[in-house]
Formats: sequence, C-alpha cells, structure tokens
Amino acid sequence: MNQGIDLQGSFVNALVDLGISPGAASALWLPLPMVVILIGATVSIFVTVWLERKISAAAQQRIGPEFAGPLGTLQAAADGIKLIFKEDITPAKADPILFTLGPAIVVIPVFLSYLIVPFGQNLVITDLGVGIFLWIALSSIAPIGLLMSGYSSNNKYSLLGGLRAAAQSISYEIPMALAVLAVVLMSNSLSTIDIVNQQSGYGILGWNIWRQPAGFLIFWIAALAECERLPFDLPEAEEELVAGYQTEYTGMKFGLFYVGSYVNLVLSALIVSILYLGGWESPISVSWLASLIGVSETTPWLQVITASLGIMMTLFKAYALVFIAVLLRWTMPRIRIDQLLDFGWKFLLPVALVNLLLTAALKLAFPVAFGG
Amino acid sequence: MTLAEGVQLVAFGILTAMTLGGALGVVLLDNIVYSAFLLGGVFTSMAGLYILLNAGFVAAAQVLVYVGAVNVLILFGIMLVNKEQEFTPIKQAWVGKVATGGVCVGLFALLTASVLNTPWAISAEVPTGEMATVVIGIHFFTDYLLPFELASVLLLIALIGAIVLARREFIPDVAPGEPASEALQLPERPRELVSSVPGSEPGR
Amino acid sequence: MLGFLKQVGDYAKESLQAAKYIGQGLSVTFDHMSRRPITVQYPYEKLIPSERFRGRIHFEFDKCISCEVCVRVCPINLPVVDWDFDKTTKKKNLKHYSIDFGVCIFCGNCVEYCPTNCLSMTEEYELASYDRHELNYDNVALGRLPYKVTQDPMVTPLRELAYLPKGVMDPHDLPPNARRAGQMPQEILEAAQKAAPKETKTES
Ligand code: SF4
Ligand code: SF4
Repeated sequence: MNQGIDLQGSFVNALVDLGISPGAASALWLPLPMVVILIGATVSIFVTVWLERKISAAAQQRIGPEFAGPLGTLQAAADGIKLIFKEDITPAKADPILFTLGPAIVVIPVFLSYLIVPFGQNLVITDLGVGIFLWIALSSIAPIGLLMSGYSSNNKYSLLGGLRAAAQSISYEIPMALAVLAVVLMSNSLSTIDIVNQQSGYGILGWNIWRQPAGFLIFWIAALAECERLPFDLPEAEEELVAGYQTEYTGMKFGLFYVGSYVNLVLSALIVSILYLGGWESPISVSWLASLIGVSETTPWLQVITASLGIMMTLFKAYALVFIAVLLRWTMPRIRIDQLLDFGWKFLLPVALVNLLLTAALKLAFPVAFGG
Repeated sequence: MTLAEGVQLVAFGILTAMTLGGALGVVLLDNIVYSAFLLGGVFTSMAGLYILLNAGFVAAAQVLVYVGAVNVLILFGIMLVNKEQEFTPIKQAWVGKVATGGVCVGLFALLTASVLNTPWAISAEVPTGEMATVVIGIHFFTDYLLPFELASVLLLIALIGAIVLARREFIPDVAPGEPASEALQLPERPRELVSSVPGSEPGR
Repeated sequence: MLGFLKQVGDYAKESLQAAKYIGQGLSVTFDHMSRRPITVQYPYEKLIPSERFRGRIHFEFDKCISCEVCVRVCPINLPVVDWDFDKTTKKKNLKHYSIDFGVCIFCGNCVEYCPTNCLSMTEEYELASYDRHELNYDNVALGRLPYKVTQDPMVTPLRELAYLPKGVMDPHDLPPNARRAGQMPQEILEAAQKAAPKETKTES
C-alpha cells in the first residue's frame, strides 16, 4: 500500500541533521500536529458559521451577513470578539464551580476526538488501534457536562434542557455505535486509517455508502441528534425552554457551547465522510490515474499532490454534509421529545440491529465485497 | 529515565491523586450531586490508569460504559427524584454507623491482606497493545464464554425488568376511592341534567 | 405470523413515505436557494408603506370636541380625553389628549368613528424607544407631522411587492414612473362613475 508522505519522519530527520538528538526531535514534533489540528478546528468554526448563515439566508431569500469583512466572512470573528468582551455573569444562586466546569466538559471531548480524524495516510495525530471507538467513548462524556451546566444554573429550563440533552445523546449513541459496528465489521479494524483504506482502490464505487446505505442514513441521523442540530434541537428548543441548558450562560462560557456545537458538527461530518464516503479518497482513484499515466506512486510530487488532494477531499465531503445539515435545518420542523425517543429507540435501534445482522450475513456470504 | 518514562510517572501520580481524592470526595461530601459528578471524575481517571497500562480498549470502554452510561444514569436518578424529605433523627443511629464502620474496616483489612500477600512482579509478557481488541474477543468466545453469557443474561433480565416496570398500559385519571377534585373542572359545566319537559325540573 | 408481517410492511411503507416527504421538503428548500434575495437593507432602504397603512395616529387638537367616541369604540378604551365643562360657553374644553402606543393595537377604530375626523392614521411605524413610557404620546406628540420615507434624503424608498409592475419582483432600479400592476383606485372610481349616470337615468 502507498505509504503517502511521512511528515514526522522528514521533520525528525531534518532536525537530526541540524544536530539535535532524535528523542528531542520527536518531542519537538509532538505538539505540532495537535496545534495544527486545534487551529484547524477553530478555523473550521468560522467557515461553518459563515456557511450556515449564508446557506440559511439563501434558503430564506435573504442576503445574510454582508458588512463584516468581504461577503460577511468575518461575522463569526465579530461574534467571537463580542462574546469574549461580554461580562461573565454567574447567576446569584448558581453553583459557581459546576457552572464553570460544565461548558469545559462539553467542549474538551469534542476537540479530543480530532485525535483520530485522518486527512491522509499519515496525516493523523495518532493512528490508534481503538480509533473510532475512542470517538464514541469521548462523545459519551458530553452529556455529563450538559447535565452539569443544566443542574448548576439553578433554573428549571436549564435543568430540563440538560436532562433532555443527556437523554437524547444516550438514546442516539446506541444506533450510532451499531452503525459504526457494521462498518467496522467490514474493515476488520477499529482504526480510522484502516477503515478508509478498506474503501480505497475503486474510486467512488468502493465507498462504504454503497455497501451500507442504511447505516449511512442511521449514522447521519444519529450524528445530527448528537450535535443537537435542528430537527433534534429540542434541548435548546427556544419556544419551550428559552435556550435549554445555555439559558443562564453569557460571554465566553456561552461561547464555549457555541464553539462546541459547531466543532461537533464538523467532526460528525468528518467522521461520516471517513466511515462512509471514503475519507481522503477522491471519487476517481488517484493511484489508478497515476498508473494510467505511468507515474510511480512514490514520486515526490505525486505524493504531495495526493496528500493535498486528500485533505481537500476530506474537507469537501465534510462540508457537503454540513450543507445538507443546514438544508435539513430549514426543511424539518422540530420533533417532540416523545417522538424523538420513539424514533431513536423504536425505529433507529431495530433498523441498526437489522443492518448489523445483514452486514454480518453478507460478510459471510460474499467475503470479497464485504471484507472477508 | 527517558522522556516517556518521566511523563508516565507524572501522569501516574496525577491520576492516582485524582482517583483517590475523587473517591474520598464521593464518600465524604454532603451534596449528593457533587458526589455523583466526582464519581465521573474517578471513572475517568481510572480510564487514564488503564491507558498507562497500555489497555486503550479497556480505557475507552471504561469511559463509554461507566462515565457515559452508568454515571449519567446516576445523575438522572438524582436529578429526577428531588423529593424533599425530612430526616427524623433515629434513636440508636450509632448502631448502624458502628456496623458500617466495622464492615468498612473489615473490607479494608481484607484488601490490605490481599495486597500484601500478592507477589507483585511486573510480568515479562509483552502487552498486546493495539491487538487487545482481537485478544479480548477471542477470550470472550473461548475460555470466558460462560461468564460472558451470564453477564449478558443478567443485563437482559435487567432490561426486561425495566421495561416491565416502565410499561404501564393504562394510568387512570382519578385514583379509585379518591373523590374527583373539582379544581380542574370548568365552572360552567352543567352539574345536573336539566329535563326539557316543563314543570318536571328537579327542585321545583 | 402474517399479521405481524403485514404490520412490518405497513411500518416500512410509512417510513418510506416519510422519507419521501422529507426529500420533497429538502428539494423545496434547495429550490429556494436559487431565488434572488428580497432583502431590503433597512436603515438605508425602506419600503413605502401601502395606502391605508395603519401606523402612528395623528391627532388634531383644535378639531376635537371631547365627545369620547374614540374611547368607547376602542377595544381597550385607550385614548385618554381630559376635558372640563366650561359653563360660560356651555362647551367641553379639551385640556389633554393622549394615546399610549405601547398598548394600542392599531386597529383604527378610533379613526373610523371620530365624528370630526381629528384622528388619522399615518404611515409612521418606527416607534421604538428605550422606555415604554415614552410610547405614551400626548397631544403635542400626536400632533407632529409624520415622517415620510419618500422625503428622507438618506433613504432609498422602495416600492412594496403589490406596487411593482407586473412580473417584477425586485424593487431596486425601477424606472420612476413604472406603472404598478392592475387598475389604480381612481381608474376604478372613474369607471364606476361612468357607469353610474346611466343607471340613474334608467331608474328615474
Ligand atoms: S372621537 Fe374625535 S372628537 Fe371625539 S373625543 Fe375622540 S378625538 Fe375628540
Ligand atoms: S387604534 Fe384601536 S386600539 Fe388604538 S387607540 Fe384607536 S381604537 Fe384604540
């Protein structure tokens, strides 16, 4: 298999050539990808917020943000600056410790989950053996933070919102995990890299979405519910709960929830594109094209092109999914809490189970197509 | 000591402090909500200890099951059942306290004895690391099959029990034997049927 | 068994139908994205209020005869008419008159029924203030001439949708004399007047 470019190796080698010991060079390398991903995730918020506003505006025949920066691109930055400079209010009877901890616990796991998002064969912070399972585990921490902020605000709407959020994420975690399990069954590995590699080779035809259409839908619905996107945004349903668990928050603590929700949306879209849309693979396989022209896979310029194309592809797929999420937001009315739980437990869960069983059966029957 | 070893030592110290402190907090704090949240902290730091032991899968499972499910359920229980209860001081409460203390001391003595009696030696076996998932799976379906199946049957029983408890087909509006409250009735609702035949109205 | 299968089949059918409807909804939303925005950049551009727009009420102090008809027809008895009876002239002497626009629902009843036509609806709608008591307009404030969109040099007045020529959706860059769709009111009136004399002749 094509190893792609090895940034870490080149970086360490360059430093060793400069006369630094290999251990120190590796230690110097360690924080770099994390910082890059952190910055990337933060920038992705700006892009997502801008996209969401512009797409919403277009769907409603408005113009959307226009005055902050060219085409309103700096609107998110303006929002962020406003949030930073706002007074940080803790309600008089709130619990100050839990009130502060809540948003942090919601946001940190989301950023941690970027550990396992690959943008290329070697362009990932860590290729963990438990890969996608880590993401599922981390995303199950968020309800604790939501409950914490809901409880500590000392406000009935907050508490109700927090309870709803926790109930919602617990219920939708299960179908989501089952959908992931079906994919894992086919790739024989939990590692995100292996999952993408298993889909590679046939261009767009090799993607998991053709083998797992039901799984794709289940996963995307459950991911939207986990992100509290609009058809499932009832933890913060304005008409009923003011703003749910965010009601009492101002300033940057509210900003953390805001950041968390958008980063989570992008993360879910990235994971969907990795699990079902072939990750960094382009619709037409690059290696196949290369062999068509007769260029070796290890040619340096080809590797650079492949890597950048991979990053572009991953982001493009993720943002296409974000676009669908925004479109869905303005199409679907919010569902009721009982409908939400009914849908999760009585529809998604059985369908996900059947999907898993079918995948297992198909894997036994056609090991060639379903990863023997 | 290399960098990795130093990091591991520091991480071990922090995680141990977090586990012990959190556990003490769970037991000693008055506010039950704090106890529940600290329990989540304890579970998380235990997951950290598993990671230090090269058991990434177990750590992730620990976070998923204990933090994400068990702890959230405990919190749910606390937050949904906020029935204010007056605690009447019980006479001879000290008996219970002494009994609890005795049990705890006994448990602690047992644990200490087993800790002291175990020959602690770092096993020479290479940790499975990344392949842990596969090894765990193989164990589940060979030598640990019975405990695994028993655990799943236990969970199934709990699941069905919960469904039976939660599934009440019919909840009557008015409990039998209790007179219907008039607070929710509309005042203009006719209380008695009025006959349409003149002269035969009740009360004439 | 068959009954169960039928249930499953119905359920699947319903799910498919729901999915179809969601798809239709998505396509409608998607279709809307290709339409031009109809945004009016508010402080710089403003729509010209339509004829019979019911905005802030204008009041002419000198015409008022303090009959309080406006108070009686108002659904919330809103106008405050403060008068005393002048014994020498045997007339009511109006001292103050006020309407609280924080409470008024702009139904126009008072305007409709005022016998001396001293109340009228203007096209002013920018009533925002920092204090709701500032919305309580006294007779001086009520007597001010209304703000007109077309007379403000800072504002680009835009025609509302109903006043645009046929087939035009965008009020920007309209030629100044573009005629709106349909007949003008005075044309309808003229046509009616032309038709009316004949009728009167035939009747008499
Ligand atoms: S109805 Fe007209 S004339 Fe009579 S009190 Fe009101 S404003 Fe004055
Ligand atoms: S517009 Fe209607 S509500 Fe307002 S003062 Fe006149 S009658 Fe009353």
